[in-house]
Amino acid sequence: MVAHLLRLKLRLLGNGFKRSPWQLVGVIIGGLYALGIVVMLSLAGWFTAEQSELRGWIAILAGSVIVLGWAVIPPLITGVDLTLEPQRFVHFGIDEKTLARGLILAGFISIPAALTLLAALGFSTIWRLDPVVLVAGLLCAVGTWLMAMFACQYLTIVATALRGKRRFRELSFAALFLLLVGLGPIFSTIGSNAQSIVELLVPMSAVLGYTPLGAFAAVPGALASGEMARAAIYAGLALVYLIGLYLLLTRATGKATVTPPAAQRASTAKGLGFFKLTPATPAGAVAARALTYWFKDPRYALSVIMVPMLPVIFYFAGGSTGSYTMMLLLGPMIGILMGFSISADVSYDNTAFALHVLTGVSGRADRLGRVMACFVLVIVPLILAAVLPAALTGQPWRIPGDLGLSLGAFLIALGVSSIASARYTYAVPLPGDNPMKTPPGSGARVAVTQLATFGIMGVLLIPTLVPYVTGWVMHSTLAGYITLAVGLITGSLMLFFGIRIGGRTMDQRAPELMQSVMINR
Amino acid sequence: MNSMALEIRNLAKQFGDKVAVDNVSLQVPTGSFYGLVGPNGAGKTTMLSMATGLLRPDQGSALVNGVDIWAAPHDAKATLGVLADGVRQFDRLTGRQLVTYAGLLRGMDREQVATRTEDLLRVMDLGADGDKLVVDYSAGMTKKISLATAMIHSPKLLVLDEPFEAVDPVSAANIRDILNDYVSFGGTVIVSSHVMDLVQRMCSHVAVIDGGMLKASGSVDEVRGGMSLEDRFVDLVGGRGTSEGLSWLRTS
Repeated sequence: MVAHLLRLKLRLLGNGFKRSPWQLVGVIIGGLYALGIVVMLSLAGWFTAEQSELRGWIAILAGSVIVLGWAVIPPLITGVDLTLEPQRFVHFGIDEKTLARGLILAGFISIPAALTLLAALGFSTIWRLDPVVLVAGLLCAVGTWLMAMFACQYLTIVATALRGKRRFRELSFAALFLLLVGLGPIFSTIGSNAQSIVELLVPMSAVLGYTPLGAFAAVPGALASGEMARAAIYAGLALVYLIGLYLLLTRATGKATVTPPAAQRASTAKGLGFFKLTPATPAGAVAARALTYWFKDPRYALSVIMVPMLPVIFYFAGGSTGSYTMMLLLGPMIGILMGFSISADVSYDNTAFALHVLTGVSGRADRLGRVMACFVLVIVPLILAAVLPAALTGQPWRIPGDLGLSLGAFLIALGVSSIASARYTYAVPLPGDNPMKTPPGSGARVAVTQLATFGIMGVLLIPTLVPYVTGWVMHSTLAGYITLAVGLITGSLMLFFGIRIGGRTMDQRAPELMQSVMINR
Repeated sequence: MNSMALEIRNLAKQFGDKVAVDNVSLQVPTGSFYGLVGPNGAGKTTMLSMATGLLRPDQGSALVNGVDIWAAPHDAKATLGVLADGVRQFDRLTGRQLVTYAGLLRGMDREQVATRTEDLLRVMDLGADGDKLVVDYSAGMTKKISLATAMIHSPKLLVLDEPFEAVDPVSAANIRDILNDYVSFGGTVIVSSHVMDLVQRMCSHVAVIDGGMLKASGSVDEVRGGMSLEDRFVDLVGGRGTSEGLSWLRTS
């Protein structure tokens, strides 16, 4: 039975590559990149070996990062390959214990898991000076890896059970995203307060060594410094944690294989919502639909959260460097990013786009509606972001220039996105999927399309940038007003032509767009 | 008035090496209730996608009420309502919002959309679920709300791909009544289905499609030629196994 499950998992892994050669190329490039990191880590381990003071603490930290990474990132953020989800075996009368064991082992078979094991083993070269400790280090690397795998699988099952409730899922992503975005500033604040890295590292590792995260990784360090008793305590704790986690995991897997998926709670919305507020035209309807999605679809909600988050990040980044110049670029950044965010609109619609094709709504109304929704949502925060930093820092002469660049960037981004989304679709998370999940192997194409879109926006923005930079350098309000005028004029023109050209492109290519979203469903 | 609600001329589509639809021509008279039957993978959905503007054909044309849907898509789509199979809906809208959306996209005015939306929700037995998000609907309810989005602009031709799949018997009967009513007042309906019995009872005309080719078409009585439609279908399509299939399944 266990062998069958393992073979099934290997077969699934193999078939995944067969689906498209490009996917394989993507995986190979990703794999080479990851292998490079493994080599780097091994070298890092090799060269840190002589740092006898710190290496024990560094090893604990590295081990903890591995376990924590596996415990948090796959279950909650990237999503796990759920082809062997325990609940899929509900219908087979397989003995619970056997099935659980098989599924746990099958969970080990994945490229990231293999790479992690290699990395953990490679990093053990940090103990290369003493052969006995090196052997212990290698064993403990395997232990750390097992702990990471078990933690990942256990938390995945728990998260899956909770995820039955859609609202929970959406909220947890938003919360996690905020946390992740906020991590950088938090660390930079802590980091700048600690006098040295050592001051930060030692107490943190000392605690981590006694937790499931770092217990295994702490053993070789204690051995190397000759503290047998402490090594024994770490090893004992580590084994207890591992066995405990294994028992929890088998129980949870066993239970999941006999529990049917939880029913979803229905959610409602009273009346017509945005459809009552927008004009009763095709473009107005598209705008109302898009606005509803901006608020209801977590994939869009992430972009919305960016607006209040950017100032916070910039503020903390400014705090750690002592210069708040970045804050002055908030407006243009928000303008470009939010304008850019509608460039994947048709990809996000997925096959629901069929409704637009079938109703024969004109490409212009479609483009215009999507632009209207984004515009209504962004314009007020955008103006605030453009005006406030200059006003609050007592540099009112900047305001016209900042405003001009922000509005210009936003309008141009909207125009370019209108054309891009009528012409290119790419693999994005499906409706209802984890918004952070990127479909495998899509990286290269997405990157090229997005880079090209950004590049074109940049080129079109040059006429506005020239007076803006001049004004910045010369502290000239006049140049600011020129920026404002140029930004508004070029922006409006680009938006006008963007909607025209994008609309015509969509009219001509609607069936082709439809086919390209059918592939990714 | 045009005598043909849908006229398919030499439609063909090839995906890689696989010929999905091979030079099919079909005429659907105005006022007919036309059944399109064929085994899985016969090319029904591909053909209907090409006839409704969702998929560009390699060759051939499709005339909806006399207007070529590939030459004048906007005009052709104005008289056409489609229930496509295997596509999502904008399912973060409520049922009421979705139907309203379909109406407004067609350029209808707000009052008309509002009254028709309520009517459609009522006849589809979705009155109580109009404020629920479509993503929380069951498969059958999603079919019904999609059907409503296809009917809001009162089209002259309804093309329904698998409309009864996953729909409960009561709702199916209600939908059949609506469609019969619609046909008796001059509308034309094309349904694709696997359920021969349903097609034989419901439809005036039928076309059998298999392997991307049209095997037979005409009025139901012509096509079945005295046999039951199901037997005639199996005759045309072939592929019935011998009865000795699974001897071990006889448990006694």
